[in-house]
Amino acid sequence: MDSNLGCLRRQTLAVAWVAARANLAYPLEVLGRAGFLAVILYIFLRLWQTTYEQSGSDKLAGLSLPDMIWYLSITEAMWMSAPRLSQQIDQDVRSGNLSVLLLRPMAYPLYCLMSNLGERSTRFLFNLLISFSLALLLVGPVKLCAEGAIMTGTAILAAFILDGLAHILIGLTAIYFQDTSGLTLIYTRLTMILGGMLIPIELFPDWLRSLVKFLPFPYMMYEPVKLFARPDWQEYLKVLGGQSLSAIVLTTLVALVYRHALSKISTNGG
Amino acid sequence: MKLFSYLKLALAYFKLNVGIHSQYKAAFAWQFLAMVLNNCTWLAFWLIFFERFPIIKGWGRQDILTLWSLTSAGFGLSTACFYNLHNLALLIARGELDVWLTYPRNAVAHLALAKMSPTALGDLCFGYIVYLALVRPDAAHLLAFIVLTINIALVFIGFNLMRGSLGFYFAQAEAISEQWFFAMITFSTYPSCLFEGLVKLILFTLIPAGLVSGLPVEALGMKELRADLIGLSFLGALAILAAGIGIFNFGLRSYQSGNLIEMRN
Amino acid sequence: MFAVQAEKLRKDFLVSSGLFQKSRLVRAVCDIDLHIKEGEAVAFIGPNGAGKSTTIKMLTGILKPSSGKARVLGLDPFRERAKLVRQIGAVFGQRSQLWLHLPARASFDLLGEIYDLNKADFKKQRDMLVDCFDLHAFFDTPVRKLSLGERMRAEIAASLLHKPRLLLLDEPTIGVDVVARMRLRELISKWHKEEGMTIFLTSHDTGDIESVASRLIMINHGRITVDDTIDGLRAAHGQADGLESTICKLFG
Repeated sequence: MDSNLGCLRRQTLAVAWVAARANLAYPLEVLGRAGFLAVILYIFLRLWQTTYEQSGSDKLAGLSLPDMIWYLSITEAMWMSAPRLSQQIDQDVRSGNLSVLLLRPMAYPLYCLMSNLGERSTRFLFNLLISFSLALLLVGPVKLCAEGAIMTGTAILAAFILDGLAHILIGLTAIYFQDTSGLTLIYTRLTMILGGMLIPIELFPDWLRSLVKFLPFPYMMYEPVKLFARPDWQEYLKVLGGQSLSAIVLTTLVALVYRHALSKISTNGG
Repeated sequence: MKLFSYLKLALAYFKLNVGIHSQYKAAFAWQFLAMVLNNCTWLAFWLIFFERFPIIKGWGRQDILTLWSLTSAGFGLSTACFYNLHNLALLIARGELDVWLTYPRNAVAHLALAKMSPTALGDLCFGYIVYLALVRPDAAHLLAFIVLTINIALVFIGFNLMRGSLGFYFAQAEAISEQWFFAMITFSTYPSCLFEGLVKLILFTLIPAGLVSGLPVEALGMKELRADLIGLSFLGALAILAAGIGIFNFGLRSYQSGNLIEMRN
Repeated sequence: MFAVQAEKLRKDFLVSSGLFQKSRLVRAVCDIDLHIKEGEAVAFIGPNGAGKSTTIKMLTGILKPSSGKARVLGLDPFRERAKLVRQIGAVFGQRSQLWLHLPARASFDLLGEIYDLNKADFKKQRDMLVDCFDLHAFFDTPVRKLSLGERMRAEIAASLLHKPRLLLLDEPTIGVDVVARMRLRELISKWHKEEGMTIFLTSHDTGDIESVASRLIMINHGRITVDDTIDGLRAAHGQADGLESTICKLFG
């Protein structure tokens, strides 16, 4: 167990290092990402500026205009750090690579989750650097307390785990479906809307808001991110609770499908 | 007469492409659906937004629906029929214009027509379905919609030629060209009434999204069709197209060709 | 009447290795003169990177010369490209004009439209080419399934559909096996003799050169180093050596 954890940490660090270097190796790509973020954040700024002006209130969904832009800069940075995890797993399952990867000391889904977490966090931090600079340029600084940063940071990390689990689940269903890219597309579009990437969930119509409450999507973006503007320990615990519950459900599903996949491989003789 | 000969050419390329793509029906069906689904997500966002804030600078739910149907239909049309232009910078960088240049008529015509992307028909159909089902136009508006769809496709052709021609000048123009395209597509999918001043100027020149999500939507948005705005959109599209062709032809002087072993597919 | 005329033809390329690096000027073709009579068959040879393809591409109007003058069939290639290409055929061994996923027949039909050929004339010419190049067996098979030799036969036939007066062949036998290569040579030289077409051929294969061309022009480092008839070369360098070793000597 101990050596397993050590291996895990080393692996995560190694992957993170590679990812960080990969982030810098292509300056043009970084420039491209920055350009894209600049365009989208500028458009969001204009959209919400107009909306705030017309609604006549200082706060919408408990967020001021600068809060809103910072909120969106975080969700965009999260979105743009999204991995192609499910398609990689799909490939592994289909190509039979899975049986080779089984020889590793770590369970395959755990390995995927960890390497994805490392890669994604570095990518995210990098994007965040860009999008925060842009937000600063567009609307100036917002009040950011250490508490809020810690709460948001940890909750976002948990959100990445949830997202990773969902991707792994989709990738593993390659044992049942001809093509999982469809599921991936549906899933990512659902997180985009129901996760509150483009618009905070509090601004949803009532019926949709009460429906979304029972789904894991808000815990993948909206709930963690809003903590930065409205830090509150009680709220934080609630978010972690929701995330844990979602994680338990997703992990169970992953374990079930994974076990099924293993049995399929052994009956197929590899 | 000249136009007729180009139409005949277009038909010939069309036949050829039908021949190619009829071999991959299943992949086609899926990608078609993926396009539609992706657009639906954005529509969902806007429906949620306008549910909460019914009017933004005079734009309402109808207008945003019109915008999305117009943009996706026009973009879908240009991508479906002129897919090569979409990757022009890459083709130039790899020196793949050679064969087109050994054919009579304008090289742009061959290049544009040679490759079609049937999956982009998903965008085209999405546009028309949304417009017919959710906006419910009368005959005059529908006719104007069709005209404007073609108009927007012209804008995209000109724009793609402009950004693709970068390939003549930079080794890594592809990345820049792609970013430029992202900016165009993003601005084309948000109400143009949000932008003023310098940005508005850019939206009618460098990033001609104003000719996609601006004038055409305003022309269609009113109870009474605005013929003047339709005319203006048309003139704008022609200007962008002319600029695109001009820049491309100018860039051809510095075309460097290449020796990669490639097959058409 | 000259089919190809070039005076002090030059092409410089700007080569940049990165976005922010300074680009460097590379002279691919340096002030070459060419005079090829109509009906001649000329082999244009040289080591890799000598400037062969660049020259061909300037003569077909694909590339704009940096300086100098070119006349092909009396036309300026770059400025009057649209007019010129109706009268020339070009085969690039490394660049196909057939559609990979479709049978050659479909590509031929398309070329008929591209060159705006009269329906009846097109059919007559096509059927004749299919006979002559023996394409019957695979004319309706997707091109991706053809062997390289078969593909090149179809490729050359395709470039003859519009009855060009000048045929430019850029390494037409590259990668083709020995038997198929012999076949291609025979076809090209037969076509040359029967139709009186001017042929401009680049190749690394001395067999190609011997069986198709009567004159040899060698280019090296962008300059013409040899311009002589094949017979003249043989006489000068001795029969026993064979063309291959003669060329080797000339390269060095």
